[in-house]
Amino acid sequence: MGTEDNGDMGFQHRGSSSGMNPISVSGKILGRAMSSGAIIKSTNGADPFFGSGWDSLSMSQSENFGGSSMVPLTDVANPPFPLLLTNQAIDSSSHLVHYPSDLGLVDMVPKLPSFGSGNFSEMVSSFGLPESGQITNSGCPINYLRNREGGTANTSTNNADCQENCQVSEEGSSPNGRRKRRASNSPSPMNTNKNAEREQHKESSKDSSECLKEQEEKKQKIEQNISANLRGKQTSKQAKDNSNSGEAPKENYIHVRAKRGQATNSHSLAERVRRERISERMRLLQELVPGCNKITGKAVMLDEIINYVQSLQQQVEFLSMKLATVNPELNDDIERILTKDILHSRGSNAAIFGFGPGLSSSYPFPQGIPQGTSLSIPFTTPPLNPMAQVASRCHYPAPSLSSFED
Amino acid sequence: MTLHQHLPSNPRSIKTRFAIRFLQTLKRLNKNRPISSSLREIHGRYRIVKLAADASMASVVGSRRVWSRALLWKIRNRALRCNSMKRKRIHALRVRRRGGGGHPTRESGFGQANDLRKLVPGGEVMDICSLLDETADYIKCLTTQVQVMRNIADLYTS
Repeated sequence: MGTEDNGDMGFQHRGSSSGMNPISVSGKILGRAMSSGAIIKSTNGADPFFGSGWDSLSMSQSENFGGSSMVPLTDVANPPFPLLLTNQAIDSSSHLVHYPSDLGLVDMVPKLPSFGSGNFSEMVSSFGLPESGQITNSGCPINYLRNREGGTANTSTNNADCQENCQVSEEGSSPNGRRKRRASNSPSPMNTNKNAEREQHKESSKDSSECLKEQEEKKQKIEQNISANLRGKQTSKQAKDNSNSGEAPKENYIHVRAKRGQATNSHSLAERVRRERISERMRLLQELVPGCNKITGKAVMLDEIINYVQSLQQQVEFLSMKLATVNPELNDDIERILTKDILHSRGSNAAIFGFGPGLSSSYPFPQGIPQGTSLSIPFTTPPLNPMAQVASRCHYPAPSLSSFED
Repeated sequence: MTLHQHLPSNPRSIKTRFAIRFLQTLKRLNKNRPISSSLREIHGRYRIVKLAADASMASVVGSRRVWSRALLWKIRNRALRCNSMKRKRIHALRVRRRGGGGHPTRESGFGQANDLRKLVPGGEVMDICSLLDETADYIKCLTTQVQVMRNIADLYTS
């Protein structure tokens, strides 16, 4: 939970300083891997940032996200793409909307077209190489940068190429595999040439610091080229964007782009963002509540969640009743021993539903019911008010509770 | 069974902290209130044990979460309500809070959200999005609570 908070704080900082170049801002946050921070900050193109954003993500994922929830991961990964689109008019049919949000960049919506299937864990795991990952991932933007250097006019195909390259580089976890795949999958002749050069270069210099330095130099060069190109092509657009970002330096806005074929009304965009946020949370909940993998539909899912929470609360009540009847001999030593045993005698406690399997295997339950209390037979003869309440509300897994009577 | 055999894998996890705090509370409880087998006493103890479990869980989570803050607030109010001096002020506070909270129920397809709000502490004043967030965290903490309490109960009754 602490990791989530750190992530959230980071996101809020990002959102509050969105007046700056959004790329550099998110780059700062993402680039907690110190060495690649400079790379991210200096690029202006969509895909170089994209590629380097991934490699910093691989560095920072272990420290930022303990894996407890997927939400921050997806949010961190997704921002680069739509943010960069605001600075380049790549898709002419798209529409830019400023959408205020309290969570800032955390709530970006975005579907990366090439990664739209959304299996984020696969993507991230393929990037999960500590040092070598940094090198392999940065190979992709290098390719893109070389393409730009070559002066290809069509930016969209460049982006597509680099996306494919990124995809390819992400698939290859080993350097050999990566080289082969990239060589075989690169579509344009320029790419193959650059790939061959790049790989030979990589083979010669395996030192990570050297590679990084080269990348930094190249990226700076490329950045100048790109900025020159942009200045040449889209002066007015950039001026507008800069002025917009300058006007609202402290607002937390989400830049949302409407996809092709969708309504571009600002209200419907906001609605869509909201709906996607909600469905994200529902997916998380689906993972938490056991047995909800096949359920599709908010209403049924909500019912399941409500039932599950009710059953958990009932279990807490029942267990506290049990603890109230038990006569504990608590000394300090015993407490310490108990603490450690408690944490480790989970055993087959995976299924909260089943009271039967839930009782740890080493301690058979029925023998342990204290005599002299009628509370030992739960839910069938509730003598007290609390038990009656519990019984009346017990519509969740009734069959499992009957295992007490064994 | 030596103490060094079983070391908690993560000494600062919620589970560990909850277990430690709950055991301390139980120890204190048992010192102050002798065990008796009359049903009334047991019922009283049950309520106190449940309160202790919820309070220790909420305090371990801290004020990071809306539900833990709401739970702690409720428990403290309950303690304050016992003091007759402050009854009026607490009552006024509660009324004001209810009025200002409102019920954001405009979302389509979320009719059951109202039921969920009643279940999750502090859920009345949240919108759907944060309600789902809080529910996820609440479920996680409830499962750890149930696990720890079950282990304690099993150890005692064996």
